[in-house]
Amino acid sequence: MANLLLSPLEKMYILHGVRDDCRSDGRTNIDYRPMELETDVVSHASGSARLRLANTDILVGVKTEIDLPNNDQPGYGKLEFFVDCSANATPEFEGRGGEQLANSISNMMQKAYQSSDAFDLKQLCIFEGKQCWKLYIDILILECGGNLCDAVSLAVKAALYNTRLPSVKTALLDGGNVDLQLSDDPYDNKLLNVDLAPLLVTLCKIGDKFVVDPSAEEENCSVISLIVGATGNKTNYNIDNKKNESCTDSKCTTIVMNGSGSLAPKTLKNAIKQGIEAVQFLDQALGQALLRERRENVTMKKYSYGFLK
Amino acid sequence: MPIDYRRFNGPEDSVSYKQYTKNFLKSYEELCNELIDENEHRKDGRALDEARTMYARTNMISQAKGSSYVELKKTKVVCSVFDPREIPNKNEFSPLGQIYCEVKFAPFSCPRKRRALVPDAEEKDLSLSLKKALEPAVCRYAFPNYQIDVFVYILEHDGACLAGAINAAGLALANAAVPMYDTITACSIAVIEDKLYVDPTEEEEYVANMTPAKEGINHGIITVAMLSTLEQVAGFTQLGSMDGTCVINATEILQKECQNIVPIIHQILVKDVIHNIDLSEKLEKEAKLREAALNENMEEWKKLLSAD
Amino acid sequence: MMAGNVSIRLASERVNPSVYSGAVLPRFYTPGEVISGMKDYMRGHGTYAEDDCLKASVAGVMQKVNKLICIRPLKNRYVGEIGDVVVGRVLEVQQRRWKIDTNSRLDSVLQLSSVNLPGGELRRRSVEDEQMMRQLLQEGDLISAEVQNVFSDGSLSLHTRSLKYGKLKQGILLKVFPSLIKRRKNHFHNLPCGISVIIGNNGYIWISPNVQDVTVQEQKDEIANSDLQPVNQTDRETMARIRNCIAALVTSKMMLDDTSITYAYEESLKYESVKSLLDPEAMLDVAFLTQHRIKEMTQE
Repeated sequence: MANLLLSPLEKMYILHGVRDDCRSDGRTNIDYRPMELETDVVSHASGSARLRLANTDILVGVKTEIDLPNNDQPGYGKLEFFVDCSANATPEFEGRGGEQLANSISNMMQKAYQSSDAFDLKQLCIFEGKQCWKLYIDILILECGGNLCDAVSLAVKAALYNTRLPSVKTALLDGGNVDLQLSDDPYDNKLLNVDLAPLLVTLCKIGDKFVVDPSAEEENCSVISLIVGATGNKTNYNIDNKKNESCTDSKCTTIVMNGSGSLAPKTLKNAIKQGIEAVQFLDQALGQALLRERRENVTMKKYSYGFLK
Repeated sequence: MPIDYRRFNGPEDSVSYKQYTKNFLKSYEELCNELIDENEHRKDGRALDEARTMYARTNMISQAKGSSYVELKKTKVVCSVFDPREIPNKNEFSPLGQIYCEVKFAPFSCPRKRRALVPDAEEKDLSLSLKKALEPAVCRYAFPNYQIDVFVYILEHDGACLAGAINAAGLALANAAVPMYDTITACSIAVIEDKLYVDPTEEEEYVANMTPAKEGINHGIITVAMLSTLEQVAGFTQLGSMDGTCVINATEILQKECQNIVPIIHQILVKDVIHNIDLSEKLEKEAKLREAALNENMEEWKKLLSAD
Repeated sequence: MMAGNVSIRLASERVNPSVYSGAVLPRFYTPGEVISGMKDYMRGHGTYAEDDCLKASVAGVMQKVNKLICIRPLKNRYVGEIGDVVVGRVLEVQQRRWKIDTNSRLDSVLQLSSVNLPGGELRRRSVEDEQMMRQLLQEGDLISAEVQNVFSDGSLSLHTRSLKYGKLKQGILLKVFPSLIKRRKNHFHNLPCGISVIIGNNGYIWISPNVQDVTVQEQKDEIANSDLQPVNQTDRETMARIRNCIAALVTSKMMLDDTSITYAYEESLKYESVKSLLDPEAMLDVAFLTQHRIKEMTQE
């Protein structure tokens, strides 16, 4: 949102606020604004989620298709990210206006999910070397009110958590071709293992300090931000909520500096540590919300809210 | 062949012949073990923490305002910088100048596949990373409403191409006399099986990006661009999967490596200036000689004329 | 590092922000709906005449002033009236005038001749003044002003020729629907909690720390310095609390004036931390309690 204007004194107020750890809406530098999440909102997608973070509104749909595995990775499936910056969000996105932003977000997601520590592509294999699932993850930005990356990564993880692949009844090799039979029963499906899927945290440098979840006004006051992507934690998505399971540390899957400024090496190192910690809190909150929703689902209490109301 | 956008272009169905060689089917462990011998020496004889020697020169392209050529053994990069020009299609005043970067691989630059002429996602991503790294280095207030074009062409890719591109671009910008706050240098590191490979080759990068056999082992690539005198990190990208301490260790090593490149860049720039001074002195001397010769001639003619 | 506050709630846990006001629901008109015959009434905003009938052109409720009929939508842009207090942002510096964003349909204009020039005394505007315009107000600056005139196309001409108007210093700007602003005699309020609020008729609300009126010329340097001084921690927290209270009232679509804001502030004090007021349940609670107090007050 380039056309946001702020007066120098307003900027100064925000700057002092960050320095004193008391932002314009009373948050400290490490607080997120409340978010709202709903999964399974699009009926024709294998999995979907909608996330609202203040004014930022993200809708993610996962479509599954069957593809040939790559020659050098015969036992792996495929994952692709597409971002559409809808002109609904701001008229600036009209035409090719949002293309650059869309590309940078989809690139970042692709990088964050690249390692097998982040997402195991083996679970998308149907028949080694012959057939695999390909997940198209389409991210729609309906409204932007700052902090797009974090919101997108949360929505993507929720949508993948919600994704159901039809069960493969038989997959036989028949004269070089795969004879594939999928289950017709819509309830006969398998879920993906996305416990470790990464989340992105944007650390926005305002003055000498970093803040998480910057509002559009705060983003305007900053020349450099650091985006840290790190893996989630298994224990957060475990229904039994067993605490004794080994709590693995989050691993960085992608780190990118964004903006035209630079950072002192020491600041950078601190920010990376801060980012990894923030990912852990975020992942914990997401895990709790998703488990709560799944429980509602099991007890058949859940009904869809969708876009009305 | 250039692609015709007006028609639907099917997928290219030719594949590299290398896919049918034995090498291609090697497992992760085999590839991993190949990279290093029992004495911790890499394939090209370097130690793990040893960077390749850099060769660089300026004035590679005579018609550009500034240009450079950087070579890290088999990674070869050409960069040219052109005069600032007004930002095309701009609609509002921009108080800071802009930098437009384009990174392009030569079609034959990569060992694994032929590069298409149309920029792909990786090239776009490299261009963006290069732009973000250069922005804090250039005094952009000095040319408001103007943009500087930086074109990088990777002739041969044998790892660390982003670092090579940043080094080349920094050198070319200095060569083009674009005002800058500091010399910008970059270096990358590959993490494979918890080991750090400074200034990796393409093969090492390939393995670093691969999925390790066991879960939870650090792997990936980090590239850092530094403004060493100001002690500022201008660009930072990390890929793969590694824990926080590993990232921080690698960053510290890269910081030092970046500093090691600075004297090389300085030397080239100073030599450039000396060379130019020498050249102008030589030209001046020659001009004087020529003038003296002409004067002599004139005297002779005068004599001849007065003799008449 | 301490644990950051992250809350993700589900759509099924969403709270309905509407507060029952007890008032009788008015009749709603939709675009194209016939309001009445033409002959008895005059055509106002949000209506048009066709086939001898007066029809609504927006969805909203009817307002009747004598014979004038208007339809007021909830979400409209600001329609200015002479004498309104507005908060606006400078968009552009032009020849002898500034273009100001006031949330109206068209950008408003602030003439160089309708501002108080530094020095205070009344004098002719010179060429130097024209060249100094950007030093007075530059792009992005916020001002409070009064509507001086409404042009025939609906655009506004503003003036700041009073000490209470002019450039705004450090503070928070909040944008709400203009229709939620109650028209009052006074739109500048020094709240008892030590914070001043400018409730612009155009839906822009400015929250800033209460400044002592220092008008003595000698102290001018001091004033200039105090603009750059950081706002102290207690003021900052109170401002954030007021911001969140106003946001809570707006989410519940309640009218804004100094009373409702003060009530909401007082009710919000039971939530010790300011950031807990971002939670939808707390917001509803504050709005509900405020509504309750307003009702009690009107009954008395």
